[in-house]
Amino acid sequence: MKYDIVIGLEIHVALLTESKFLCSCATAFGAPPNTQCCPVCLGLPGALPLVNEQAVEYAVRAGLALNCEINHFSRFDRKNYFYPDLPKAYQITQDVFPICTNGYLEYYIDDVLRRTTITRLHLEEEAGKLVHSSGSIVDSEYSLVDYNRAGIPLIEIVTAPDITSPRQARLFLEQLRLLMLYMGVSDTKMEEGSLRCDANISLKPAGSTVLGTKVEIKNLNSFRALERALEYEAARQSRVLEQGGEIKQESRTWDERSGRTLSMRSKGDAPDYRIFPEPDLPPLRLEPDWVFRIRETLPERPLERLHRLEESYGLSRYESTFLVNYADFCQVFLELAEEGEDNTDLANLLMGDYARLAREQGHLEPQRLAGLLQILQEGLITHNQGKAVLEELFKSPLSAREIVKEKGWEVLKDPAQLKGVVQQVLTANSELVERYRGGEEKLWGFFVGQVMRTVQGKADPQMVNELLKGELTQKS
Amino acid sequence: MRRLAELLQSKQISSTEIVRGCLERIEETEPVLNAFITVDEEGALAQAAAADRRRAAGEPLSPWDGIPLAVKDNISTSGLRTTCASRFLRNYTPIFDATVVERVKRAGLPIVGKTNLDEFAMGSSTEYSAFGVTKNPHDPLRVAGGSSGGSAAAVAAEQVPWSLGTDTGGSIRQPASFCGVVGLKPSYGRVSRYGAVALAPSLDQVGTLARKVEDAAILFSLIAGADPRDAVSAGAPGFPVPVWDDTVVRGLRVGVPEEFFSSGLNEEVEKAVKRALQNLADQGAVLQPISLPTNEYAIDTYLTLVTAEASSCLARFDGVRYGERVEAADANTMFAKSRGAGFGHEVKRRIMLGTYVLSASHYEAYYEQAQKVRTLIKQDVARAFQEVDVIVTPTTPTTAFKIGEKRNPLEMYLSDLYTATANLSGVCALSLPCGVDSQGLPIGLQIIGDHFGEELVFQVAHAVEESVGRGTGSEV
Amino acid sequence: MIDRQDVMRMARLARLELSEEEIELYQRDLNSFLVSGRKLQQVDVSKVEGTSHAVAVIGELRPDVVGESLPQEAVLGAGPQVFNGFFKVPRIVEGQE
Ligand SMILES: [Zn+2]
Repeated sequence: MKYDIVIGLEIHVALLTESKFLCSCATAFGAPPNTQCCPVCLGLPGALPLVNEQAVEYAVRAGLALNCEINHFSRFDRKNYFYPDLPKAYQITQDVFPICTNGYLEYYIDDVLRRTTITRLHLEEEAGKLVHSSGSIVDSEYSLVDYNRAGIPLIEIVTAPDITSPRQARLFLEQLRLLMLYMGVSDTKMEEGSLRCDANISLKPAGSTVLGTKVEIKNLNSFRALERALEYEAARQSRVLEQGGEIKQESRTWDERSGRTLSMRSKGDAPDYRIFPEPDLPPLRLEPDWVFRIRETLPERPLERLHRLEESYGLSRYESTFLVNYADFCQVFLELAEEGEDNTDLANLLMGDYARLAREQGHLEPQRLAGLLQILQEGLITHNQGKAVLEELFKSPLSAREIVKEKGWEVLKDPAQLKGVVQQVLTANSELVERYRGGEEKLWGFFVGQVMRTVQGKADPQMVNELLKGELTQKS
Repeated sequence: MRRLAELLQSKQISSTEIVRGCLERIEETEPVLNAFITVDEEGALAQAAAADRRRAAGEPLSPWDGIPLAVKDNISTSGLRTTCASRFLRNYTPIFDATVVERVKRAGLPIVGKTNLDEFAMGSSTEYSAFGVTKNPHDPLRVAGGSSGGSAAAVAAEQVPWSLGTDTGGSIRQPASFCGVVGLKPSYGRVSRYGAVALAPSLDQVGTLARKVEDAAILFSLIAGADPRDAVSAGAPGFPVPVWDDTVVRGLRVGVPEEFFSSGLNEEVEKAVKRALQNLADQGAVLQPISLPTNEYAIDTYLTLVTAEASSCLARFDGVRYGERVEAADANTMFAKSRGAGFGHEVKRRIMLGTYVLSASHYEAYYEQAQKVRTLIKQDVARAFQEVDVIVTPTTPTTAFKIGEKRNPLEMYLSDLYTATANLSGVCALSLPCGVDSQGLPIGLQIIGDHFGEELVFQVAHAVEESVGRGTGSEV
Repeated sequence: MIDRQDVMRMARLARLELSEEEIELYQRDLNSFLVSGRKLQQVDVSKVEGTSHAVAVIGELRPDVVGESLPQEAVLGAGPQVFNGFFKVPRIVEGQE
């Protein structure tokens, strides 16, 4: 039987605040263990939480970017469960009244624009970090707890189950990550856990409207893991169903090494989080003016930028996508590009050698890059020399023009001077000239090379070609 | 206290002498009373010496600089053991001061020690303490009340001039009534809860106990007012000590709720309270029969909410970050063993009950229902305050009962019958002595004021105190 | 009626190791509470919302400013078991198939 895949995602995004969600400890990554803690985030008796305004603003910004309704009344709740990384043995979250609801995210699958519904977005606090003695929770004799991360603000974004393939799930998540990055609300570093994703997946007979039993997959720490885990799980469920089996509603974890999802055995009782309204925090009431101001100052969204690059800067989907995906390159581009013109050359420069060098050494000041573009357009140097100048720009504080001057790389522009060089080369190789004239045409490249070597590459190849042609045909 | 302050100011007495006096009195009476869990002789004397130096330099921190107090042992004191009368925290020393402690220290008040209570303030007799029962100074075979039994007994026995307690359902007023002292439960949000170990955050308030109304007001003036660390205290006004004006009674509308004078009320208590009411009427107050029909649900509502919130608040005591751990091979067993061994029966009983009412299948029937009934109770109280200025009731149905007399927990919970309503509705209430019964046991009168109506409550209490003091109505 | 199984389940949820005696005790107490609490369920609450906060306070938000954290010694000071700057806990049972 053919099955339709039904996928819904839950994404946790760590917000880029300076201080934690409910206390004023720093959020910086990588500090020595338990050095960014206070009575509040340690859950010491008597300590009380206080909501970070910036976290609320980021949540609203993310919600607006996702076309959500921003709820002027929302409430915090306690989700109770015991775990060594959870200092208060409850997580402060928003259950019944989340801050944002009912939005959507648009993204391209190939060239088709797709839309996924965002059911809700809410604020909550992060737990601490566990280090397991043997490296894995399964067989560790003991674990170590670091509460530096405990209390960092998170938003949880929940999609409707309207994603229909593992690839779509990945494309959705990529677009979501980009959106969060563009909104400036998170550094979205998956390797540091700033962006995490759980996926719900079920199968149903093709065309059916009845949903199958869903399985939750946790521990999806990269785009690749998300796509692979979903592919594996879809195949597994399909196999089970084909064999007449039943899908068990459960949580599974993605095991990168074996490339499989593994059941997380739940011993005994189903979880019961005993969620109730958080009495220590008053409900959150947002002023409409405040929300309006955030809406007005919302940064450009990646999809809007993609369309702008295509429409106003004459770029292809390929080039635009590159620049949108690498916002830093895009920034360089937008500073140098001219609206209404064809900026393909600039885009290609950025995507080519510049991209390689910038990734290794960081970006150049856009104005220095502009200087290079300028002299290329003037024809002061050849394209090949452009590459060398670019390399120099990363090393030297000089401008492109100064580099060219210092290195003596100006193109030989005087045809008479170049003609002399060509004649000199042909005279020195008269025997080969005869052979060329005798039909050995592949020697052409040799003559070009000799000329270029003599002028140390500083000649316009086209001019060299023309002069050579003139000389070699003249005397035949 | 004004007299004491004058003596200090005129150097006729030193803080050191006062503190020494307290310590001597404690040494003399403690073997019988057991009002303290920790007496900080060294710390108190050091603080007194500092106060004396400030006086000598003419720079007292406040008029009350150097007048010592006792603090209930569920209020965090930096560097001074804070046990909550629990085995689990018997060696726990906070690393920060509760806001109220910070404030009394800022006024120069030396802390003599930490007073006994029912474990985590769960109880009405201070019998449920891991540090032994506190006896009633009027009759050592009887309870001091609870949960602030130690704070009330210490004041009544003149071990200290005044003290701090906490009140979640009557925990200041009931022991104040039993011990014959004045006890104030402030309006919800008027005093910071930061650093007071939570029992039920939507009900808890820190309040004051003293032998005189004015003294309770003075101590209250030192701790009242918004604290940026307690979100629900935002907007709370400070409290200047009132200029006493007993004419406020003239024309005062005093609500007398019939439900508080029905079955279960001890006759002698009723008589004393009615005499005090008559006294108020004689001074020109208008007694107005009112009805608080939902009061009959107060105890069950209170019990449901308090156990639910407490089950969550006490979950943090898991043996990971502080407290007494019982080692085990895995974390969950370690949690269960540590908590099982660290908590007393009443605490476990309430955690069990709270877990039950919050669990998924009972949440709606119990917890949510109780929240809604709480709304009805609030509405009843709000309606009453549209018609009257204050409500006067007995503080407790009986005078102090015998140690060990109440074996049934439900019977014990009924001690809060008249007091829980103020916590549920968030208004303020004060208990002051209004006579003694035939066995010489103090009888308490409760004056309930509207939200933030402490000034009027104190004024009325002061008037009642004056008339009781004049002997116009105290003997039964 | 709350049976023994319910009591055990609550105890597991609340991470309380109970003695045989305590299980019986709390089963009795929980049941007597439920009898008394039944009164509450008869109250007509159809016209009201629940109260989760004693008074309707407007929450003030905290500006995003980093304050001082505690020194590591203070953080770990009360820890029953610490190791290399971390709190140490025994094996977290959460096996996988
Ligand atoms: Zn902190």
